[in-house]
Amino acid sequence: MLPGRGVGCLPDNPLGLSWHDSNWIPMLNSNNILDYFSERSNPFYDRSCNNEAIKMQRLSMDQLSNMIGLEYCLLHVQEPILYVVRKQHRHSPTHSTPIADFYIVAGIVYQAPDLLSIINSHMMSSAYHLETAFEELNSLARFHPSKGYSWENRRPGQPTGPVTAPPPSPVKVTGKRDIEEASSQFQRLRVDMLLVELTRKFPLPLPQALSATPQNTINNQQTNELIKKEVKQEIKQEMIQDINIKQEPQPTNSLSPSMRPPPEKKFKPA
Amino acid sequence: MDSKSKKYEIIEFLGEGQFATVYKAKDSVTGNIVAVKKIKIGTVEDAKDGVNRTALREIKLLIELDHENIIALFDVFGHLSNISLVYDFMDTDLEVIIKDSSIVFTQSHIKAYTIMTLKGLEYLHMNWILHRDLKPNNLLVNKKGILKIADFGLAKRFGTPDRLHTHRVVTRFYRAPELLFGARAYGPAVDIWATGCIVAELLLRVPFLPGESDLDQLTKIFTTLGSPNEETWPGVAKLSDYVVFKKFPAIPLREIFTAAPNELLDVIGGMLSVNPLARPTCSEALQMPYFSNRPPPSLGSQLPIPSCIRDSNPEDQDQDAKGQKRKFTDYSEGGTQPKRLVFDNFA
Repeated sequence: MLPGRGVGCLPDNPLGLSWHDSNWIPMLNSNNILDYFSERSNPFYDRSCNNEAIKMQRLSMDQLSNMIGLEYCLLHVQEPILYVVRKQHRHSPTHSTPIADFYIVAGIVYQAPDLLSIINSHMMSSAYHLETAFEELNSLARFHPSKGYSWENRRPGQPTGPVTAPPPSPVKVTGKRDIEEASSQFQRLRVDMLLVELTRKFPLPLPQALSATPQNTINNQQTNELIKKEVKQEIKQEMIQDINIKQEPQPTNSLSPSMRPPPEKKFKPA
Repeated sequence: MDSKSKKYEIIEFLGEGQFATVYKAKDSVTGNIVAVKKIKIGTVEDAKDGVNRTALREIKLLIELDHENIIALFDVFGHLSNISLVYDFMDTDLEVIIKDSSIVFTQSHIKAYTIMTLKGLEYLHMNWILHRDLKPNNLLVNKKGILKIADFGLAKRFGTPDRLHTHRVVTRFYRAPELLFGARAYGPAVDIWATGCIVAELLLRVPFLPGESDLDQLTKIFTTLGSPNEETWPGVAKLSDYVVFKKFPAIPLREIFTAAPNELLDVIGGMLSVNPLARPTCSEALQMPYFSNRPPPSLGSQLPIPSCIRDSNPEDQDQDAKGQKRKFTDYSEGGTQPKRLVFDNFA
């Protein structure tokens, strides 16, 4: 599958690459693992290395430490499942600089990532998930002239659905199971517990909150006529779904827009 | 004449071949260390023919040549019925180096040896001389890492169109397919083929095409490099000893020389073209990208020295002599066979 000049056929980022030869996998051990690694089709193996030079000249691998340049060595063995091969530049019999590590798990070869790639990757996925969460939330924010801002629940019968739903994950079992997985038992209990905790800390000042909210929303209505027009179409749906939301007036209110800043509320019980 | 033989003080015995005995000697005038090759008188019959032909060819050709990568013939002198030739003293030869398993060749080493061989050979061919017996054993190397082509016992002038040569030249492993097919009008391409085999041997550390007989040699060549036909080698069927071979596909050189860079594979592939006309000349070969690319060839001082010389100090040269002796036994087993045949008819 590969022309075999090693480095030449590696993509810019080899971290997404793996290689294996299923003929070898059943008989891998610490004695032949480097031979397996030096298979011509392995894209991680650079054939201009000292190992290959010695092999071609039919000499003893003991010579490796006397040579200068690129070499591969077996760094760690955890038979029969894990082998770590190191690519390094040898300067002298006692001094060498590591270039890359490769781990062979169950016969499949991967390049071990460097710290920068790991941090980059984690930051990227965190940022991605945050962004998706915000987008999701943004699309669920609803405005109703009489009730102000509220959250649309796209999954009727799942009160905490959209809020606790995990970030969109690839290929999952569809149907009922998917809905069940949207929030686990633990998550639901956890959220319920938090809600109980919150209501205990901040007892519901029902009459006040209800009388205050419409006023605010009216203000909004007056100032933001454009938004109103957009939202109008969805109002009917909202009316139905509001039933669900009404059961939890606390979070709904606390998530209202800046018209009612959160600090106000925090100070109330004090 | 006597004065000349006294000029060289024999230091030690180096080795013995079929035609000559070699000594290490010191030039008492200049103080240089030289090698003195004393040609054997041989049998009474041989003596009747006059001066040994090998020696004669060597004297005739070498006396006119002067190149860093060709062995220099300093002096010739006779003593009684003996003839002695005085050469550069060379510490070892490429065969000893190749066989020394304590040495690992780097790409730079291989490049350096190849360049020196090709430069010497280019000079020979420019002077219309075919060496006709190139093999690692005939490429001498001194402690400075300079390689010199030696043993001109089979060398011959070429270029006269109607003069035919014998095809029974070159040690078998290094013999080009046209010679094995009995070609009589051949050229420098036979030396290029041998050089290609030597480069391959530097990479593999064993003879590349070790045929057990002439026919086996052809089989080894064609099973490795692919068998020729009229398309790939026009005129091959007209050669006197042509034998039809089964169609063998060529094995990709990359699979044989696994650690060799692509540019070197191009050089070997060119030199080992089965069709002699497809092989590059020395000058063309030296222009190939391999020789100008990185890594640069090793300097002489960086080239490996075989352990037998490295370990021995000037006082104790036992090891050195042993190395030389082994060389000469190899030589009399394999190397002399075609050489003796030369003298039958065509010389």
